[in-house]
Amino acid sequence: MVERPQEPASGYTCREVVELVTEYLDGAMTPGERAALEVHLNYCDGCATFLEQIRTSASLAGGVAPEQIPEDVTEALRAAFRARREP
Amino acid sequence: MIGSVEGTGVVSADASLVARLRDGDERAFDEVVSGFSPAMLAVARGYVGARSVAEEVVQEAWLGVLRGLDRFEGRSTLRTWVLRIVANIARDRAVREARSLPFSPSDFEGNDPAVDVRRFRLQTEPYPGGWRSFPSDWRLLPETQVAGRETLDAVREAIAALPDAQRMVVTLRDVLGCPAEEVCEALDLTPGNQRVLLHRARARVRAHLERHFDG
Repeated sequence: MVERPQEPASGYTCREVVELVTEYLDGAMTPGERAALEVHLNYCDGCATFLEQIRTSASLAGGVAPEQIPEDVTEALRAAFRARREP
Repeated sequence: MIGSVEGTGVVSADASLVARLRDGDERAFDEVVSGFSPAMLAVARGYVGARSVAEEVVQEAWLGVLRGLDRFEGRSTLRTWVLRIVANIARDRAVREARSLPFSPSDFEGNDPAVDVRRFRLQTEPYPGGWRSFPSDWRLLPETQVAGRETLDAVREAIAALPDAQRMVVTLRDVLGCPAEEVCEALDLTPGNQRVLLHRARARVRAHLERHFDG
């Protein structure tokens, strides 16, 4: 594959694009910035792949089992909850 | 207020849950304890570090929640309110133990590029700022490898190694799926600062995965 980096007309360089992807994914860009980024992503395979990798990283994080409090703490809290109702 | 139950001010999605809790419904309590505690632990650990101390902080926060339940006015969601309580207790504890607090200016300043700058062309070269060689396409890897156990272990490892502030934000956003607005409100972060931390965290997780996949 010939790796053809961005053309200057796009407004953003690849080095800039990699810093903007979270802003892009969170919908926090102005319409103009968003359009310029999308122009870049449309012809830069490197940045499109990078965006996909960030998406994959975020979605894989969603598969990590979250830490939970131990059962004895839950039990103690349940007791406190019951006690709350008692006079 | 849209989405509120008349007279209570409690956001409707939470209204029945809060009513059940006030009523002493133990199943509702179990539901919120198992549902909210992972996010509370993530917040507490960001301030106090050790898991055992974080568990104490979460327990103390729940007792505070029980004491304050009748005063909950529903100006935020129940979970956000609970997360603010745990953040306050954890912050106090960290101050008492003279631990440095997350979200200090150094967490947002400085140059922490998402990708090693050596991977981009110099100003003096053709296509300045362009990739020297493209990142590899993980979609070409076997699905079993991308979503496999070793990959999840690598993600967990990468998150565990993050600075406290980044770990808190990426755990809340990407591991637990909290919306950006909630993270900002719970941790008193501006949307911009929240995004800086999330971006730096995701970039480090990505870089770790790249080493994991590409060898």
